[in-house]
This record gives sequence, structure tokens and C-alpha cells, in this order.
Amino acid sequence: MASLDELVSSVFAGRIGRREFVRRAVLAGISAPVALAFLEACSQGNQANTGGPVHLQFMVWSYEVQTIQDNIKNFEKNDKSVTVSVQDTSWNTYHDTMATKFTTGSAPDVAYSSDHWLREWVAANWIVPLDKYAPDLASQKSEWAPYALQGMTLDNHVYGLPYYADLVIFIYNDKLIRQAGFSKPPANWEEVATQAKALKDKGITQYPIDIPMKKDDPWTIEIFYSMVYSRGGHLFDQGNNPVFNAAGGEAEQALQWLRDAYTSKILDPAVLESAEPDVVKTMGAGQHAFTVLAKYNLAELNLGQHDQKGNFKMALMPGSSNSTVGFVRFYALSKAAADRNHAQAADQFLQYFGGKTNGQYVVAKRWALDKGLGFAQLPLYDDPEIQKAINAWGNVDLEKQQAKVAAPKEGLTPWWGTWDVYAREQIGSVLAGSTSPKQALQNMATKWQSLKH
Amino acid sequence: MSARTDAKSIWAARGAGSSTAYRLATLTPVLVLVAVFTLFPFAFAAVTSTRQMLLTLPDQTPFIGLQNYVDVLRDASTQNAIRNSLVFTLLTVPCVTVIGLAVALLLNQQIRGFGILRALVLLPWAIPLVSAGIIWRLLLHGDFGALNGLLLQLGAVHGYVPWLSSPSTAMYSVVVAHIWREFPLPAILFLAGLQLIPGEVVDASRVDGAGLWARFRNITLPYLKAPLLIVLIYETMISVSVFDLVYVLTGGGPGSSTTLFSWDAYATTFTFLNLGQGAALSFIMAAFLLVLIVAYLRIVRVDEGEA
Repeated sequence: MASLDELVSSVFAGRIGRREFVRRAVLAGISAPVALAFLEACSQGNQANTGGPVHLQFMVWSYEVQTIQDNIKNFEKNDKSVTVSVQDTSWNTYHDTMATKFTTGSAPDVAYSSDHWLREWVAANWIVPLDKYAPDLASQKSEWAPYALQGMTLDNHVYGLPYYADLVIFIYNDKLIRQAGFSKPPANWEEVATQAKALKDKGITQYPIDIPMKKDDPWTIEIFYSMVYSRGGHLFDQGNNPVFNAAGGEAEQALQWLRDAYTSKILDPAVLESAEPDVVKTMGAGQHAFTVLAKYNLAELNLGQHDQKGNFKMALMPGSSNSTVGFVRFYALSKAAADRNHAQAADQFLQYFGGKTNGQYVVAKRWALDKGLGFAQLPLYDDPEIQKAINAWGNVDLEKQQAKVAAPKEGLTPWWGTWDVYAREQIGSVLAGSTSPKQALQNMATKWQSLKH
Repeated sequence: MSARTDAKSIWAARGAGSSTAYRLATLTPVLVLVAVFTLFPFAFAAVTSTRQMLLTLPDQTPFIGLQNYVDVLRDASTQNAIRNSLVFTLLTVPCVTVIGLAVALLLNQQIRGFGILRALVLLPWAIPLVSAGIIWRLLLHGDFGALNGLLLQLGAVHGYVPWLSSPSTAMYSVVVAHIWREFPLPAILFLAGLQLIPGEVVDASRVDGAGLWARFRNITLPYLKAPLLIVLIYETMISVSVFDLVYVLTGGGPGSSTTLFSWDAYATTFTFLNLGQGAALSFIMAAFLLVLIVAYLRIVRVDEGEA
């Protein structure tokens, strides 16, 4: 009587069908469900060896899923050895959904990730280094923006291939500030408040400033970082110790500014229930004149279906240093994919999505042209098509200037993701008046220390 | 089949039912299912709650006894979540019960068209909680909420009110949304109870000159004791463990003003990736519910034969 392994080999070699496999397995004293489960388990690892297409599960957050599907279709047309199915969930719930997927044995092969979570996901053993499992992908790193590479690197290992890399920027409605008598955008946060007050007093907008601060919106923390950086401040030192709680420091100034803007009603009172898409909608409708968002939103505001379409511009982040957060979202290869022997297939797939096809960054270029997403692949800046596209909704020179003073998020450690959620809650408490800026920052520092130990 | 054969087969079946083999054969699948889907997760969670289980430290899961329980109970955010859950439960359970009873009394009237209304009243309860949350978020949003639009047009407010952004109104907003979603089930349960009250008892009390309040207190309420007990227990359980609505409406914010116990357990587990403390919180919540249920059973004792 053949062993179960031999029977499985026969199925993959096409010598016997699944029904015959089960029949023989039962004759060999193995129950049908056990035999089928074994066959299923083996099939995952054997697909690549049998010549049949390997199926990859790809997890993304819900942004332009149709474009992603179209990119997958294009990839599958060129590469018949891999098929890909995509699953999505909202950006706000992405982290928690992924935690569930990774821990319940339903991990995808390839997933979007972010510099936010790199250390956490590596510590939890959910993702594997690309330079080990797909070295040809990581070899393109010399062409990536340094802050993006830094955001995907841990202990000298590269864990991602850039999906997009962008900046948190200051956006203003040029038409509205001109109506209020201002010829140029604010250069620092005090000027933002002054211009906003003028807009409010003249009845141009009721609440001139809106910023996504909804507790479950991960943008909140990146925006807060940017507001601290632009004042020339830091949140952590090089040893990842908090410096944001220094009395009267830039972080306290930033929080106090937010609280003052909230109480003087130049900041939208609905700010704590507004996530990124809500802010884009209300800015587009002309309800507000100033915001801080990821740069790609400027493309949406100027090109999308909005009442104020075409009136939006970016300015350097107000403050003494004009610095801001540069961030990267990337494609990560899961440990599960490596265990399933899917690394090679994932390599082919990611080469198309984040790497080069026939010498071109096909997908990164498409995102930049169609949606205005920023990119880590620096050679794309020299592409005339991209330059033309960016200038249609933004300003390539100003973008480059802002990028020069951009910095990655400080303090990225395995516990940063947990601290981030707590920090967002504290920022919300300050705005709502439940706690003072000083106390909130002290709470954030205490939380950091407790997580560290 | 003749009546005699029927009796024989019933007799045979009864005989089979009394055999140990038959009992084992019929009970085992159910017991296996209960073991797999209830006992195993319960035991696993109990073990998890006694270990340091942080997903970011997958190789370090030492046994720490009841330390997770001590830590979460000392944690200020858990204490805040317990306070919020108590407030939420104290506000929602009486409101849901009273509104449900009022609606049931109304629907119990023999008025034309109320048949359709009885079906329609179940609608909020039939809507999935997440959808209900989205509906209420669109209604209450401080920038584009329909309720604000209506109030502004009626002149009741001078500007849009950030119902979900202000700690003072966010909790009440979640409470209102929860009451709207939950009142139909008690209404239907009470209505079923009301329809069991014998008409002659009500008629006799009328003849004896009993007023509306006396009839409600001495006839209606005693007949509704059983559904009332069910409603109180069920609604308390729901209020203590409500999650979806908060998840969609406020995400526990602003700050931590709508962070309920269930949300805290979720965030501890899936956001902070602390499975040990998350499991401990879940057990604390289960114990809290158990105490409440026992207390209700003692307060609203239903005598045998009643209802």
C-alpha cells in the first residue's frame, strides 16, 4: 500500500485524481477529512514545483482597489505562473485586521505595511527580510529616497519594497486667503492662526482650519510629528528616549497651539470626528482654508470633483525649520509566504508592483500619474511625464524643497505602534479639554517608559 | 402505516432512547461541538490570561499567575472604561426597557394599520450594528451631519454641533444610537406578553372601577414579569458588551470619553497586541455580567406558574 506522501505526489503529478486519492487514503486507514486536509496543506507548498500557477493572497488597505485589481490583471497577463487575489480593509482598521490575520493563521503572502509598524511586525515574526528571501528586489535600494529606505530597514535588513513614499504637507486654499487679503501663505503657526482669524472674522469660513484628528485615524500622529518637526523640535533622541515632554518644548507648543485654535474656534470643532477623507471633502467644499495632510491629497483636491477644485496649493510646513514627516508605505513579504514556499512567486509579483518591468517602474509611475502618490524611486523625478503631471496639481520644485527637509518618524521601536494609539488618545484629550498639553505629554512619556520595559 | 405499527415504532424508539449506546450516540456530537467551540476557547483564554502574552514578544510567554488581572485593574484606562460602561449601562438599560414597554403598550391597541407598524418597529433591530453605526455617524457628523442640517434649518442651532467630537455630547450620542437600535426587541417581547393577558381579567377590573394606572400596576406588570426579566438581563449584557457601535461612531473618543469596557478589551488585544491582558479583561467583563445577572434574578424573581 502506498504511503500518504506517495499518494500526494501522485496527485500533483496528475497520475491520480483527488477522488481516487481519498479512496486510496481511506483504504490505507486514513480518514477522508484528514487525507484531504493533508492534500490541501501540501498543495500550498507544491504549487511552484508542479508547474501550475502559484496563488498569492495580497492584502491592502482600501485605496483605489480597482486600480490595484487592474495592476494585478496586467501582471497576470505577463506572468502566467502566478495568480493573485486581493483583499482590502480600511486604513483606520488595517493594523488591527492584520494583527488578527497574522495570529489566526490566515496571513496573506504579500501585504501593504508602513514604517509605523515595521518593528512591531518584525518583532512578532510576521514578516521576513526581502534581502534574504527576494534579494534581487532589495538590490534596487540605491535608487530609493533615503528616508524611505530608512523606514523599511531594520538591523541592516530591508523588509519592504516601496508602494509609495510621501510627505505630510501644509495645504491652503489660495483663493480664500486672497479674499481675506493675504498674498502669501503663512510662514509659521502664529501666522496660520492670524490668517485663520481674519478668514473667520470676515465671514469667509466659519472654521478656517481642519486637520484629521479622529482617534482611530493613524494620520493624527504623523501630523503631530510634522507640527513638532516644523518648529525645529524632536520627539525622541537617538537612543529612542522621549524628549517631547520637555517643559515648554516644541511638542507642548504644538499641542497648546491646537488647543488654542480649538477654543478660539478657528479649528473645526468636528476635528475629533474627522478622518482624512472627511477633511478632503470639507476642504474641497470650501468649508476650510488650511489643513495638514499627506501630499497626494493635494492632487485629489485639485483634480477631483470638488467645488474648490484648482484653488489648493502647498506651502512649506509653517515654522522655523519647515521640516515635516517623510513616510513610506511598502509591500511586505509575510513569514507565512516564506513557509508556503511562495517567496519566489511573491518576488515576481513585487518586481512588477514595486520594482522595474523592462527597466520601468510601471506601477509606481501609474500611481504618480493617476493619483498623485509620491514615490520613493528617485529616478521617477526625472521622468518628464511625471514632472508634467505633478505640476498640473502641485509644484515639483516646492515638493523637492520640502522633501529635502523631511525626516522619518523618530522613536520607531516594536512598542511604537502601541504608544501611537495611546498618544492619539492623549492628543484628543487635550483638544477636548480633558487634560492639559503638559499633562498629556507627561502621560505619553510615562506610557513610553512602561512599554519599553 | 397502521396505528398499531406507529405505536410499535414509538415504543421501539422509546426503548432505544433509554439505552446508553443511543444516549452516547446522540449526545456525543453535541458535546464535541460544545467542547471545540466553547470549552476549548474558554480554557485557552483562561490559560492566556495567566501568561505574559505580547505578540511582539512571541517567544517570551511566561506564566505570571493573576498579574494580568492586577495590572489591568490598576490601569487608569481600564478604570475609565469601567466607569464609562457603568454610565452607559445605567443610561441605556432603563431607557430601552421603558421605551420598549411604551411602544408595546401602544402597539397592543386594536387600531387599524398597527399590524404593519408592528413589523416596521423591528426594523432598527434588524439593521446590522455596523450599518446602524454608519447611519448615525452620517446623521450626527459635526461637518455634514443630517441632524445638524435639520436643526440649522429649523433655527434650533446657529451652527453645526460637533455631537461626536465633544466629550459631553459624544457619550449621549452613542447612548441615543444604542437605544434606537435596541428598543424594538423589548417592544416585541413585551407585546407578546401583553397579548397573553386574559381579556376577561382586564374587563373584570374595569367593571370593578380600576383606573389605567391600577390596571397597569396590578394586572399588566405582574403578567410582564417574565419578559421584563429577560429584557433586563439581555439588555444589560448587550450594553456591557456593546462594541460595534462605538467602533464605527467614535472609536472610543474623543480622548477616552466613549471608551467602553468591551472597546478597552478589544484595543488591548488587537491594537496593543497584549493577548494576556485582553483575555484578563474579557474574564473580568464576564464575571461582571454574571454578578449582574444573578442580582437581576434575585430582584425580579419569577414564581413558578407565573406567565
